[in-house]
Amino acid sequence: MNNLTILVVDDDPVIRRLLEQRLAKEKYKVLLAEDGYVGNETLASNHVDVVLTDLMMPGDVGGIEVLEFAKELERNIEVILITAHSSIDTAVEAMKKGASDYLEKPINFTELFLRLEKISTMRGLVRNAQDLRQAMDVTESTAAETIQNLEITAASLQSHIDSIESIANNHELDFAERVAQILKNIQSIR
Amino acid sequence: MLKIQPAELKVIAQYIHDISGIYLDQSKSYLFETRLSSIAEEHGCNSYQELYQKARKDAGKRIERQIIDAISTNETLFFRDNGPFELLKHKLLPEIIDLRTPSSPRLKTNIKIWSAASSTGQELYSVAMVIKDLIGNQMDQFNFKLLGTDISDSAIQQASYGKYNKFEIERGLPRQTLQKHFTLFGDSWKVKDELRAMVNFRKLNLMLPFGGLGKFDIIFCRNVAIYFTLADRKKLFNKLADSLADDGFLIIGSTESLTGICPRFVPKRHLRAIFYQKKT
Ligand SMILES: C[S@@+](CC[C@H](N)C(=O)[O-])C[C@H]1O[C@@H](n2cnc3c(N)ncnc32)[C@H](O)[C@@H]1O
Repeated sequence: MNNLTILVVDDDPVIRRLLEQRLAKEKYKVLLAEDGYVGNETLASNHVDVVLTDLMMPGDVGGIEVLEFAKELERNIEVILITAHSSIDTAVEAMKKGASDYLEKPINFTELFLRLEKISTMRGLVRNAQDLRQAMDVTESTAAETIQNLEITAASLQSHIDSIESIANNHELDFAERVAQILKNIQSIR
Repeated sequence: MLKIQPAELKVIAQYIHDISGIYLDQSKSYLFETRLSSIAEEHGCNSYQELYQKARKDAGKRIERQIIDAISTNETLFFRDNGPFELLKHKLLPEIIDLRTPSSPRLKTNIKIWSAASSTGQELYSVAMVIKDLIGNQMDQFNFKLLGTDISDSAIQQASYGKYNKFEIERGLPRQTLQKHFTLFGDSWKVKDELRAMVNFRKLNLMLPFGGLGKFDIIFCRNVAIYFTLADRKKLFNKLADSLADDGFLIIGSTESLTGICPRFVPKRHLRAIFYQKKT
């Protein structure tokens, strides 16, 4: 089971269908948008892990704008651009703006699935690290409390031992008096 | 990854202990391999024994420094555990300022604070920020000496530079504090000059004599003794007691304890934090 939600943004209905079928077959959850504008709307109202967007689309909102919108919305969204060979320079520019990768048309699905798997593994690792850190923080603060209490208790017992020792060594008091004071001191510990 | 042989474990563990005091469990060979294999490769060594020999012969001690950087855990964050910094602000600083303010108003108040394993500097800069926020525009009446020391060259280097990436910043620094004391520097942040000017960093191995550091009013020695053996911890805290003013304060890590380690210190509790003072 793949738990990534993928948004496909492409104005070509054939490519949209194709991607939808292939991704669904690999058990990814798929959302579709027919242009950048609808893409951004979908992003704003759904949880999305990966955006797969065409670079060149008709209208004001192209792949770059979808990328910018997605990154603005949530830094952790991964954006993969789909480009024609002729616009590879633009795709490289997009990488600088935070795109995770680009794929050339026609889409090589083996390549695409490999990238998605990588993203999925990466997310799992990050999630694990966060969980571990959180678990560690909880353990650490509980341990700190216990240790601090023990530290104070040990110090107070030590000071009782010290005063008992000095009573025991106090030769100005007779034996019975020393025992009495020591017992009193011991009782005060509880 | 280059595998470590059982016979090498003992030699390497001993060597690491000798140069840093750090005790690595010999039953965990992966600890050695993950941290040292790339150094061995870099110097063209086919075994850890060979790396050890090369490191010993290396007059410039470059390999030794690399090994120390690789085995030391520099994990730290701004305002780590929070409690000690609240303590500093509400109790330790006001008390020490009271004690140290000279009777003549023409004289400055001298206060010395030491972060004894400062790593990449977050601890000492956190102290500096607490001081600045507490004292505000009366800083000219004080002469604060804030010293950070560490055995790791690369840690000292980053601390001195005072530059932190967004992950380091995100851990522990509230937005307001960030904007007050840091400036954006590319995609990282740099401590402002006036904060940087309050602190000094230098290399020091806590296992060796401290030299002429003098006495401090407040010492932070947190999350470093945990890597040492019991015997080394005893020596360390004994030396720290020598370096602390008689009415000074010691702060250790939130999960550390001095029970059975240094009877010269007594723990005291304030709010939710613990600090130590020398027994009178
Ligand atoms: C986990 S960091 C603690 C940083 C900071 N004090 C804190 O609590 O966040 C431990 C630091 O101790 C340093 N260290 C280890 N052995 C040391 C030694 N023998 N002398 C000085 N520093 C040492 C390491 O280089 C590392 O930067």
